[in-house]
Amino acid sequence: MKQSLLKFSMTKPKWVFIITLLVTAITGAMIPNIVVDTDPENMLAEDQASRVYHNDVKDRFDLYDIIVVGAVNNSEKGIFNPRSLAAIKKLTDGIAEIEGVVAPDMMALSTVDNISQEGPGTIRFEWLMKQAPETQRQADWINQQVERLPLLQDTLASGDDKATAIYVPILDKDESYRISQEIQGLINQLDSDDEYHITGLPVAEDTFGYQMFVQMGISAPLAALVIFILMWVFFRNFKFIAAPMIIAMATVIITMGLLIGMGFTVHIMSSMIPIFLMPIAVVDSIHIMSEFADSYKPGRDRKEVIKEVIGHLFTPMLYTSITSAVGFFSLLLTPIPPVQIFGAYVGFGILLAFILTIIFIPAYLIALKPKSLESLQSEAKQEGTLQKVLKKVGKGSLAASKLVTVFFVAVVALSVWGITQIQINDNPVRWFKADHEIRVADRVLNDHFAGTYDAYLVLEADESKAKDNWMKSVQAIEDNTLKSEVMNIMQNENQLTTQLNQVMILLEDKLFDANDQRAQILEDLIMKADEARVKVAYFQQPEILREIEKLQQALAESGYVGKSNSLADVVKTVTRELKTGQPKDFVIPDSQNGVAQALLQYQSSHRPQDLWHMVTKEYSSTAIWLQLTSGDNQDMTKVVEFVDQYLADNPLPEGVKAQWAGKSYLNMVWQDEMVKGMLDSLMSAFVVVLVMMIVLFRSILFGLLAMLPLSITILFIYGLIGWVGKDYDMPIAVLSSLTLGLSIDFAIHFLERARDIFKQTGDFKQTMVKMFEEPASAISRNAIVIAIGFTPLLFAPLVPYITVGFFLATIMAASAVVTLVLLPVALKATRKWAFKS
Amino acid sequence: MKSLQKSIKHKFLKLLVTGLTLPMMTAGLQAAESELGVEEIISKANKVSYYAGDDGRSDARMMIVDKDGNRQLRQFVILRKDIQDEGDQNFLVVFSRPSDVRGTVFLVNKHVDRDDDRWLYLPGLDLEKRISAGDKRTSFVGSDFFYEDVSGRNPALDSHELLEVTDTAYIVKNVPQDKSNVEFAYYIANINKETFLPMTVEYFNDKGEVYRRMDVAEVEEVQGIPTVMKSKISNLETGSVTYMEFRRPVYNIGVPEDVFTSRSLRNPPREWLEAEQE
Repeated sequence: MKQSLLKFSMTKPKWVFIITLLVTAITGAMIPNIVVDTDPENMLAEDQASRVYHNDVKDRFDLYDIIVVGAVNNSEKGIFNPRSLAAIKKLTDGIAEIEGVVAPDMMALSTVDNISQEGPGTIRFEWLMKQAPETQRQADWINQQVERLPLLQDTLASGDDKATAIYVPILDKDESYRISQEIQGLINQLDSDDEYHITGLPVAEDTFGYQMFVQMGISAPLAALVIFILMWVFFRNFKFIAAPMIIAMATVIITMGLLIGMGFTVHIMSSMIPIFLMPIAVVDSIHIMSEFADSYKPGRDRKEVIKEVIGHLFTPMLYTSITSAVGFFSLLLTPIPPVQIFGAYVGFGILLAFILTIIFIPAYLIALKPKSLESLQSEAKQEGTLQKVLKKVGKGSLAASKLVTVFFVAVVALSVWGITQIQINDNPVRWFKADHEIRVADRVLNDHFAGTYDAYLVLEADESKAKDNWMKSVQAIEDNTLKSEVMNIMQNENQLTTQLNQVMILLEDKLFDANDQRAQILEDLIMKADEARVKVAYFQQPEILREIEKLQQALAESGYVGKSNSLADVVKTVTRELKTGQPKDFVIPDSQNGVAQALLQYQSSHRPQDLWHMVTKEYSSTAIWLQLTSGDNQDMTKVVEFVDQYLADNPLPEGVKAQWAGKSYLNMVWQDEMVKGMLDSLMSAFVVVLVMMIVLFRSILFGLLAMLPLSITILFIYGLIGWVGKDYDMPIAVLSSLTLGLSIDFAIHFLERARDIFKQTGDFKQTMVKMFEEPASAISRNAIVIAIGFTPLLFAPLVPYITVGFFLATIMAASAVVTLVLLPVALKATRKWAFKS
Repeated sequence: MKSLQKSIKHKFLKLLVTGLTLPMMTAGLQAAESELGVEEIISKANKVSYYAGDDGRSDARMMIVDKDGNRQLRQFVILRKDIQDEGDQNFLVVFSRPSDVRGTVFLVNKHVDRDDDRWLYLPGLDLEKRISAGDKRTSFVGSDFFYEDVSGRNPALDSHELLEVTDTAYIVKNVPQDKSNVEFAYYIANINKETFLPMTVEYFNDKGEVYRRMDVAEVEEVQGIPTVMKSKISNLETGSVTYMEFRRPVYNIGVPEDVFTSRSLRNPPREWLEAEQE
């Protein structure tokens, strides 16, 4: 196989070029179909239980993703002044006209209702701010009204009177970047000196997607340029450099083309594929080109030299490629689809780069003109500062082997401590740099309001008992026609309450022309249906509403949430205004009928639909809205743990269960899954690579030695993350497997060459001296190419890219250093067993 | 710059709109010459819709169906007495379903020249309250009907324009005099030529899109008076539809005026509310 491939590429170089070009062109043609996906929800598989429930809840309560627009006036007079409010009113009207905005559900001062007292015994329902106020007194009045309404206070107006907000629900979260841009356009036209901010998770996510495009357009070519320049520095020969560059380009284009062509969306992770593949792809061809340049003398048969070189390098190259690929493939074990796709395609790309190198480079060398070959060979053989430094490193570390051992033991110890300090946390808003307008908006608005992040605690009451009772009554109907008509309704797909309402209508229509006896039967049945309906309407009962009230009280006292809104708040507010407007009447009525009647009044407003965002029309399920001032998963975790503990101490009534939904909660779920998944993938990749090493070296000791540098590197990197206090987030989590896949290469090359050289010299000291000539410089050169190849990521406008760039460069540097410093020492300590003849 | 663009756009739109409606208007004018004047049409429509007989009662049932097919029920008796045709009138609305709101009562003394007097009784809270409503275009007990759809919109609040006369209907455009109190830009009513009942009404927003519509599905003659038996209002923005059904309507029952006072809130006048057995 290997031989025939080689023969083909050397005898038919033109075919190799044509095929490579063709495959690249075909796959490259698919790239324009790119679909970017920045929705963190997709971090969970579509059928993942929490995600399914979240979307079910969104449907059930007609909830939309929300863009938050805030206006802040920091002057003495605050935001409640005629001019500011006129601007807000104008902006609100403008936003309502934007395509894709769910105008009826918009929340702003001018779109909500007010219930207030108008003299004794009279209540007034009206728009809170139908028109912008003309006088300061009117403006103050609006502020006072908001303060009376718990659902609006700290949501629409800030406690310090400096800020007000507009909540803009949108139909499709993928449109939030466009909509936020249009809102910004409206803001720019306003006659106002107030500060305006736009935030909310959908904006952060969609804006991120937009910037991702920009980022890919800049970073990937920049990475190519950096690699090109580096190789120029090392080799100073265009023909030499062209080969690895072609391999890198073809690998990236084919891999990305296939990913897009196979219909996968490009997620934050997969947008980094080109930057990962480029440095990795050039390494193998650099090996071949260097070795060829070393071995080729004018007059020698090229084919022979190529065969020799390939024969020599094939196994280590195959192994390093497979181990790197295994590192990435192990990401398939995480339950996070975008990470799986990333792992699969980078792994594929690495193997593709290997195959391309083996086929294309020989053809390329054959096709070169003799003159070019000479120029190739004349370079590449100078001793630079790198080589000098390396020799010192080799000598020094062996001489101070005890010190080196102590040093690495200390590093490991400190790293382990660092790892225990790691904070697992992520927040899509933090994907932007601290001075990005979204981060600023997030900070300012969450400072003024009770929070722009939502989570929902959804309570559901079991309705099966009510249904069973009712069905017994249905079974007992003697009139068969009637029974089957009722059964027909009960078997349709509607909700139980809807079915019961349908049955009641049917029965009442029949009542119309029924005789006395039959009327009695029908009325009995209607009563039973109604009883069932009332039972199903569990969240109209004062007892459960009081439980919810207590839970909210505890949440408020915990300090973990900015605010919570629930059906209980609605009922209490309406009751207070219906009664006296005094705080003493801010209570839940004593009977279910009282609650139902208060809610009927609430619905007699301009926005009756608001109620259904908190409770279903059956009143069998209710959502408690939590507003959080932070989108950090960690903060959400605290809330979840608090509620778990609270519900353990204060159990809900039998048949009622509580479950979480909301974006902040989902983010927490996938973060948890990822941490667990990453540990699995790291462990399994570790075992697979260890086994491969033992097979490759046919020695358990060498296998273990090969794992030593990467183990220390991984410990060091994560220790560093703990020490620095950087949150363990998605990009960080992915790094572990990458480290494993990439840094094993250095150990393979080092150990393989050390064993080879020992065979020739038979002396450990001499072996080490030789090791720090050519082999060490090859390893260092590769490490530098890869490490610096990732640095363009540092200039990215988005934080995850910077993180990955920084840590990958560090990983490469650290693992090269560990390999070159520690492995000689380790070999020295174990030389009796390692080099027994 | 932007505002200039906007104003140009605005003018362009205006041109477009007048350009489009001009032929319609002239057609309307021609037709209108041979028919009744638009004010007369509107006045008749108002009368047959809200002032049939001198008084009346009817059972009413509302079914609110949301976009997902969930159904809510509202059932009530409505009792009416006119003080003057096309003038003041009184309503008493007593709820029977859902059963948890049974006994809830609305009393309305409707005035043409000033705000209505409205009272509310909630038995579950043992509470009698006067309501002062900012406007009449709020939901009627959570349905897609507005309070104003039930009690009638004063024709004087709009200016009327006869757009077209077809074989069966007058098509009348109604533009509010005071835009600030309503959510529509205008509405177009399709008024039956024979009965003068508006059979469909479409409400348009500022963009000229229909966002709400009323349809009459069934008309019956009751004591010689054409009476809407079934109608529905669709909220095209939320996808919600409310079906209203009247049953056992009777006119001219002679209900005395003192029934429409706050005394009836706690003690609804059973003899007037219950339908006569046939």
